[in-house]
Amino acid sequence: MKPILLAGLLFLGATTAFAHSKLNTTEPADGAVLVQAPARIVLSFAKRIRLTKVRLRRGDNDAVDLDLTRHKGFATRFAIALPGRGRGLYRIEWRGLAADGHAMRGSFEFRVK
Amino acid sequence: MPDLWELLSILAKFLLYFGVLGSVGLVLARLVFRRETEAAHRRIRGQASALALLALVAAGSGFLLRGAAMTGDASGMTDPEMLGLLWRNPPGARLLLLGSGLLLVLAGLRIAGPGLWIAGAGGLLALWSFALIGHVPDAGPLWLQALLVLHLAAAAFWIGILSPLHRLAALPEKLSAAAGLGRRFGRIAAVTVPVLIAAGIVMAWRLLGDLAAMTTTGYGLTLLAKIAGVTILLGAAALNKLRFVPAMRRGDPAAAVRLRRSIAVEWLAVCAILLVTATLTTLQHPPG
Repeated sequence: MKPILLAGLLFLGATTAFAHSKLNTTEPADGAVLVQAPARIVLSFAKRIRLTKVRLRRGDNDAVDLDLTRHKGFATRFAIALPGRGRGLYRIEWRGLAADGHAMRGSFEFRVK
Repeated sequence: MPDLWELLSILAKFLLYFGVLGSVGLVLARLVFRRETEAAHRRIRGQASALALLALVAAGSGFLLRGAAMTGDASGMTDPEMLGLLWRNPPGARLLLLGSGLLLVLAGLRIAGPGLWIAGAGGLLALWSFALIGHVPDAGPLWLQALLVLHLAAAAFWIGILSPLHRLAALPEKLSAAAGLGRRFGRIAAVTVPVLIAAGIVMAWRLLGDLAAMTTTGYGLTLLAKIAGVTILLGAAALNKLRFVPAMRRGDPAAAVRLRRSIAVEWLAVCAILLVTATLTTLQHPPG
């Protein structure tokens, strides 16, 4: 019974540490504090990905899906226009399909003072 | 934390692995142990067909769930853009090959004579489909993908014997036949199990890069959980081969009861291993 419990604990421990996103860098960087809202955000990946959804959540405002009509192919770098400016916490949530077939997701945030 | 679509994807993958390995394993058991399993042909055919159908449903569901994971809501399951994108990429190629393989398994099981060989060829296609998508094909050359298929075939062969052997061991008048089947499987497994383990080690080495990643990354820790399950499985199999089957050959009916219990433990270990593997391939990414 002990090995089963041990396996279960290892299993649970591992699932809390999942890291399926291979997002290398973002502009602005995750956790950045800015004095002015950027006109665009940039997501750079280690491997090619097709972005399928990028959603902006800003403070208490409703979530807005960013326009991906110019990003319909697989790429490693995406520069996406950011609508609406102003102060507050910006949270970007992205989803996509990796070239190897994996569905991927991740998020980052920055603050405008 | 995993979201709803990832959790449902893990469940679909678990059922897919269970269905594919179970059905292909039963076909392999029929092909390799033709004489010993002849009397149970109808039963095995029914089980293999049910498992192949389960795998087909799980494969279709998994494809749609991948669409949902790409949009973050149920709309992705019916969104033509998402489904078209999946279809034109590795998930589509995998679904096509997997579906064709499983349909061949189902058709082969209905045909007398060469039907089992047709089902076997379908099973090989179904196993091969796993080499089209995932961490191994993403990380490795063709020989590594071939190693994955070999790993899966050896696993299927192991899983496939469990149900026929469990059933045979339940019949007192078939004690000798059950012992014979167990003995023959044990001899072949002395080759296939080391192949299964060696292939697993090579793939893990290629994906992890170094031994330290085993304890310092989520991928390595999940792999450790899988190894724990495999250790339980090996322990039960060793008991079967070294104690219970020899005792059954000496005519000890109590050994058949122990063998059945041991096979039940093996089933639990198999389910745990497949669940951990589904988690590994959905939530984790190799560090290498």
